[in-house]
Amino acid sequence: MYAAAMSVALVGGVARAVEVEVHVGRQQESFKLSGLPDTAVREAKDRVRAAISSAGMDFPNRAVTVNLAPANIPKAGTDYDLPIAIGVLSASASIPHASGAIITGELALDGKVRSTSSTLGAGVLSAQMDLACVVAKGAAPDAAAVPGARVFGVNTLAEAVDLFRHGLEATPEPPTRANPSSPHRSPDMCDVKGQLLARRALEIAAAGGHHLLFHGPPGGGKTMLARRFASLLPPLTESEAVEVALIHSAADVVRGVLPDRPFRAPHHTASRVALVGGGSGIPVPGEASLAHRGVLFLDEMAEFPRGNLDTLRQPMEDRVVVIARKAMTVRFPAAFQLLAATNPCPCGFHGDPRKPCTCRTAAVDRYRRRLSGPLIDRVDLVVEVGRVSAGQFSATSSEPSVDIRNRVIGAKEFGRARTDQIANAARDAIGAALESGMITARGAVRIRRVARTIADLASEPVVDEEHVAEAMALRNEW
Amino acid sequence: MSGEDRLVEVSGDGYPVGLRDLEDPPPIHVLGQLTPSPGVAVVGTRRCTRYGIDLAESFGHVVARSGWTTVSGLARGIDAAAHRGALRSEGHAVAVLGCGTDVCYPRENRPIYDRILDTGGAIVSEYPQGTPPARWRFPARNRLIAAMSAAVVVIEASRTGGALITARLAAELGREVFAVPGDVDREASEGCNRLLRDGAHPVLGAEDLVEELALILGPPPGTRVVRSIPDGGVDIEELAQLWNISISEVLVKVGTLELAGRARRRGGRVYPV
Repeated sequence: MYAAAMSVALVGGVARAVEVEVHVGRQQESFKLSGLPDTAVREAKDRVRAAISSAGMDFPNRAVTVNLAPANIPKAGTDYDLPIAIGVLSASASIPHASGAIITGELALDGKVRSTSSTLGAGVLSAQMDLACVVAKGAAPDAAAVPGARVFGVNTLAEAVDLFRHGLEATPEPPTRANPSSPHRSPDMCDVKGQLLARRALEIAAAGGHHLLFHGPPGGGKTMLARRFASLLPPLTESEAVEVALIHSAADVVRGVLPDRPFRAPHHTASRVALVGGGSGIPVPGEASLAHRGVLFLDEMAEFPRGNLDTLRQPMEDRVVVIARKAMTVRFPAAFQLLAATNPCPCGFHGDPRKPCTCRTAAVDRYRRRLSGPLIDRVDLVVEVGRVSAGQFSATSSEPSVDIRNRVIGAKEFGRARTDQIANAARDAIGAALESGMITARGAVRIRRVARTIADLASEPVVDEEHVAEAMALRNEW
Repeated sequence: MSGEDRLVEVSGDGYPVGLRDLEDPPPIHVLGQLTPSPGVAVVGTRRCTRYGIDLAESFGHVVARSGWTTVSGLARGIDAAAHRGALRSEGHAVAVLGCGTDVCYPRENRPIYDRILDTGGAIVSEYPQGTPPARWRFPARNRLIAAMSAAVVVIEASRTGGALITARLAAELGREVFAVPGDVDREASEGCNRLLRDGAHPVLGAEDLVEELALILGPPPGTRVVRSIPDGGVDIEELAQLWNISISEVLVKVGTLELAGRARRRGGRVYPV
């Protein structure tokens, strides 16, 4: 006797359908599991057996074969407990066939259903395939946040069995609306006094998607500014929010389907795997992918080991992390915007107007060299953040994020609609600066890009001399 | 790379007059051009503050712009800044080295070294070409700086720094010594403040320095250029307040000045050219 149930696997931040096939044969009692299961999946056998018995039903004492298809996707975790149990019960004719729903959930020995990291993925598949999904009750709102998902939450295996016996006739979970006071909400720019230059740089970076580096003495507010950057970005669209949430769930990071852009700030001791993803077993996304469509903030960037920083080059270039394994290649999207902050030297006071730097010159050079090279070449804006003077500190309130964000959204819309043009005079100005040695060829490209964004912020289709001039004044060779 | 220098004997033509005040004037190796205009040494510590750098550039600038020669030691920090200021004015700059005239030490100052030669300045040393830099040669170099100059301006110096040696030698040779007063609790100003206690002239700014030097050296031969940005530079954010326009407009103006070669920016500060 054969039955199949549908479940879900997260591969590279994408939800893929997995078919749980169960065959109950006439042979002597046994339990076989195939289809690239990991240890946690193998152990499903014991949990499923106990849970079925706790639910007051019989586990068939014959040869049970379970196959998770397609066999080439590795499956991990306890997500398949519930679909295996449902499959076994329908194959042994205890309940009707259950192939019309995506099922995920871990089983406790007493038959309770626990939530799993693929709950959201089940919701996504439910919407994509126009099927119902059955998940743990506690996590059902996560899946119900996916537009178009039809979600049933169950507390126990017995409830799930009931649901299938009644042909999924119950009322599905109501759709979840994003909580406006989510903990992911970014702090506001109105808290930042002074720092006009840095504020302008943040606005341009937000409008043009430029990577940005702040440098300056400690206590200048680099980190404070950077932490407010996400608040300047337009909210995620619904489908982007789902995509981002799905990547987070693949890393087992709880984040609902929220419009807020992710803001990830890994510590400088983070390993390469933590930064770009990977790990033993099934590859999990790293910070670069968790920051997808949001901000990756590297505080004290020069403290990161150089090799770890270099792993970020590929995602910055391709906007995707590719993890190649013997069995498969997994791609995690990683279209993040890099924001970095660093002291100018180990002691932090190199170039300070008042305080002498106590570092040895060689140490300063070494420190700066850590940030040189291919990574910093991709950073369009390098801005010095000085310490705020007392006058600025007592200044009246600053512009709130929402006003800046509206300009940013306007510039992005304008940028999508226009064709890129540059006035001859503006092109000549860049050429002259290049020729006089004021800027390098790479610097010229950066200035061109930043000038384009400045023009977009002013809703000007043609980049003119003034835009180039402002870009010049913001340039800062590291 | 850098051509061969020429040896100028103590009795030779073009030997800097001031050096003859030394007890043991050495023959010197010269790369580039020496001029008879009076020299003003702008010196200080390598471990300086940005404030010191700004002042050194500004002073190096006004000295050379006034038609005098800016003399310094091509070291990191204050020395390099003084040279840069002088080069900016297209005035006359002289670097006195503690190694051969073909050895640019520290290497990072190579652009300054090259520009000095390009703009008609001179690289001077008492050591033959090929002599490597050595710590013990620097005080001897300082003696040349002091003797070659009619006045010595110490921007920032620690209590034990080489700049103080230059100042003391200068005083012994009867040169005028100027020092920039600084916070009493700042290490980089300690040397200067001690000089002031011992009778050096306090420097109260670039204009003040020119006036004081004019009293000693006679009116400056150079002419002045009018500018809208103060010599010591100004924070871009301050300009927004000063000119009462938005930061974006300030950036446009600063960038335009920069593109026209009339201003230079470092970090968040802008300087006149």
